Amino acid sequence: MTRILGISSRFGILVLIVFIVELFPIASLEASDLQAMKNLSPAKVADFIHAIVEADRKIYTTHIVKRMQEQGIVLAREDWENKNAIPLPAQFLHISSKLVAESGHGIRFRLISRWPIYRRNGPATEFERKALEELERSPDVPQRGIVATGKKQLFQAIYADIAINTTCVTCHNTHPLSPKRDFKTGDLMGGIVVTIPLED
Amino acid sequence: MTTIEPPPPKRKKGLTKKLVISMLLVGALPLMVGLFLAFYQGTQEIQEVNGSSFEALATETARKLDLVVAEEIFRTSLLATDVDIIEQLESKRDALAELSPHNLQQMLDREQTAWDAKDPVTLKEILEGPIAAILQRHIGGTFIDPGHPVPVITRSATRGFFITDRGGRVVAGLDANMPYLHGETNWWKGAFHNGVGQPYLGPLEFDDQRGTYVFTLALPIMDSLRYEAIGVLHRIYDAKEFFAPSIEIIRFGETGHVMLIDSHGVVLSCPILPTGTTISDNRLIPLVTPMYAGWTPAPSDGHGGTQSSIIGFAPLTNASRITQTSTGVGWHMFVWQSSNELFGPIEHFFKWTAAFGLLGVGLLVTLGYLAAHRITAPIRRLQEAARQIGRGEYHEPITLSTGDEIEELADEVNRMNQQLASQFAGLESQVQLKTEEVKYLEESTTKILDSVPDPVLMISTDEKIEYLNKAFKEALSLNNGEFIGTPVFHVFPLDSATQSRLKQEMQAIQNSSLFSSPGRETSMQSSSLQDPLVPANWETSGTNRQELRVNQRTYRYRWFGVPARPGKSPSAGLVLRDTTEESLLQDRVIQGEKLASLGVLSAGIGHELNNPLVGVIGLGEALQDETDPAQIKEYAQSIVQHGKRMASIVRDFTGQAGKQFSEEQSPVNINELLEQSLETVKSLFPSSQVEVHTHLGTLPPIRGKAFELCQAFTNILTNAYQAMKQGGSLDISTTTSGHDLEIRIKDTGLGIAPNHLPKVFDPFFTTKAQGEGSGLGLTVAYRTINKLGGDIRIDSAPKQGTTLLITLPVSQKTLT
Repeated sequence: MTRILGISSRFGILVLIVFIVELFPIASLEASDLQAMKNLSPAKVADFIHAIVEADRKIYTTHIVKRMQEQGIVLAREDWENKNAIPLPAQFLHISSKLVAESGHGIRFRLISRWPIYRRNGPATEFERKALEELERSPDVPQRGIVATGKKQLFQAIYADIAINTTCVTCHNTHPLSPKRDFKTGDLMGGIVVTIPLED
Repeated sequence: MTTIEPPPPKRKKGLTKKLVISMLLVGALPLMVGLFLAFYQGTQEIQEVNGSSFEALATETARKLDLVVAEEIFRTSLLATDVDIIEQLESKRDALAELSPHNLQQMLDREQTAWDAKDPVTLKEILEGPIAAILQRHIGGTFIDPGHPVPVITRSATRGFFITDRGGRVVAGLDANMPYLHGETNWWKGAFHNGVGQPYLGPLEFDDQRGTYVFTLALPIMDSLRYEAIGVLHRIYDAKEFFAPSIEIIRFGETGHVMLIDSHGVVLSCPILPTGTTISDNRLIPLVTPMYAGWTPAPSDGHGGTQSSIIGFAPLTNASRITQTSTGVGWHMFVWQSSNELFGPIEHFFKWTAAFGLLGVGLLVTLGYLAAHRITAPIRRLQEAARQIGRGEYHEPITLSTGDEIEELADEVNRMNQQLASQFAGLESQVQLKTEEVKYLEESTTKILDSVPDPVLMISTDEKIEYLNKAFKEALSLNNGEFIGTPVFHVFPLDSATQSRLKQEMQAIQNSSLFSSPGRETSMQSSSLQDPLVPANWETSGTNRQELRVNQRTYRYRWFGVPARPGKSPSAGLVLRDTTEESLLQDRVIQGEKLASLGVLSAGIGHELNNPLVGVIGLGEALQDETDPAQIKEYAQSIVQHGKRMASIVRDFTGQAGKQFSEEQSPVNINELLEQSLETVKSLFPSSQVEVHTHLGTLPPIRGKAFELCQAFTNILTNAYQAMKQGGSLDISTTTSGHDLEIRIKDTGLGIAPNHLPKVFDPFFTTKAQGEGSGLGLTVAYRTINKLGGDIRIDSAPKQGTTLLITLPVSQKTLT
């Protein structure tokens, strides 16, 4: 039992480390050379970040969670800390998001939805709310915009978050706190908000 | 007949005891084992059942409390996401951002001073401002959130409630019981998290200001974009008051309760232990604080008791997730009940069962004893009967009516008894017959032995008398008392040298009969192991002079082996023969012989003297008438010559006769003695036609009595001359081989007939005509040679002549 737990937690940590290591060069590139390289728009940077976040989550969902579950080694559960379990893909994204935020580069990304299981994951601003509506209409077109908090100018890009497999669908359809329970694979579940500061 | 005594009873455990023990083993042991197994199993199951229950209770309580905490965090987070508060903080942030650093610092210093000085304007701004009003409304329960009314308990447990801006400065609060700056506190740094923001659930701490144990909930207030933290909402709870309603109401039994501890073992809430203490046994902490629910048998109860106990535990999953991130400790539920109470019923049950079990054992012993007695009583009777039968006593038939194998056994014993009795009857008469025979043999042997004139004695290996006959008693002038068993030398007055010689001989006899089967004599001792009653040739016993002198009488003796009785060592028998008379007679005969030879000698001397004497007489007569002086002178000279001759004869004679009665042994020259004897014998047979050849070698002197030896040789030579009356040749030769002398006397006379040959040394045996010989010549010669340790061997055939070979030892033994 402890052995499996060890494997799962080690695996989780390994994945996180891979993720962080991948993010570093992008972050540093963005931080130091953005102004010098005028043709590298924040939109492109946000697209990069989104692509990487998506890729990592896909790897985690497909090659780790699914396979572990299929082989009966560990399960992905919401209360993953105290059981023989690993984090859900959404939690995986949350944890990586927190680690990225803690890294101090000012870049944030988070999941939002019009049907969040936890209220904190609802849209925070009017821009986000509208973006989600737009994405429902055309999921392939990311919503971009510049927002401000105080004097700080921020670039935000919001990408569609689609239910890529049954795991996402099942979990959201059965979770007691979920406000919507009729998701299907391929449905839009929400969006990924990538926020990049435009100045230090 | 030897009776076999029954072996002494050596049983360690009687049959009764064995039976009772068997019954105990069969009856009580399984009972005991079952009892213990039941107790063990019961204990295990109680542990299992209670452990599972405790686990379930811990899990349930943990879940509920976790929800309470989660709800509280959620409700509080509503404030942290309150649009008005965010707006207020954002505008404050933006306002401060407008100021130059210098002005900003001045303003902040001013506000700090004003707060510390309890400036009413500043206090009013903070405690009654728009944000404070929202806090008031929340605490007051009027905060509008339809789905989440604030419970009274959490409201009343709140000990502090304030908001700081992104610099850690107090912006709003319910009271002034806090410092102005919080930027360096753990909770602030934890919740602000460098602007990223994360919830902080603090550790249990003693709040000096409020005089109670508190814990902290700090939530970041994010900006409207949720991009970064712009402030921190801080709430302090009285731990006891917050948790007690969920925990301390849960009691079961006398001691069963639920408690909340952190993963360092510090009590957050417990109905027994005060908040803030640590559980009493550190060993428990790792057992009960894993991140999963379970139960465990524990070495102590964590409440100061040392009794083992069962503890159910479960973590507060959500709360722990936050506290782990914040402070590195988790919160855990702990369900416990005292072992005494837990195991009380089964111990009670066990005690009663044990008591009944003991009662059962007692009953088993009593009944077992009675039952065993029923079985053993007839066996005892049988045993007693068998013992009597074994002793050869006839036993009355045993009547048992147990109707089982024992009764059959009794019948068998009765049958055996009857058969034995009938067999014994026949045996007894046979034994009686044999006994009488033995008695007869014993008596007749005694009679025979008593009638034998020779004393007979039988001696055991330890030198005690086993038997002595009448003659022995008479010989030793013993009274008619009982001497069997008396040490032999107590009745045998002997000097120590003789005693030790007898002992040695006796041992030799006994040893030889020890290893020989009875009735077969060993060849080694065949010469001495003759029938003691046959008067064998006592004289031919060689060099061992087996003679004893007891009470001035001389006895010859002979040993004989007596076969050993079964199981005993053989004894030695001793036969004595009184040779006192015989010796006296022989001495007298020998003395006579000596006188006779003296007569012969005298006759010889007379004969020798007669011739010169006749000459002297004749010359004397002639002298009387002779006048011629020349003739007279011639006669006188002749007389003198005859006289000298006579004188020399007399000298020779006296020289010999002077020695002949000397008893002393002295070194003698055998050659000289032979020559003297030959001269003497020659003079006895003057007309003999015997040619004499002497070959005398050089001989060492030996010790002996010259006269006796001379006499012996004379006797032998005389015999030779007498055998050669018609003439012949006599060869005398002497040689020495170092330790022996050999004297060979060979004649060509008549020889000795074979039937006479064994008797030639017997006294008075003679083939000579009356007056020619006494029959003692060779007897005397043999005794003389024998006394010196020598021997005479005769080789003879009729008409072939006789050869005598005399051997004499030269050894030192003989010389002394």
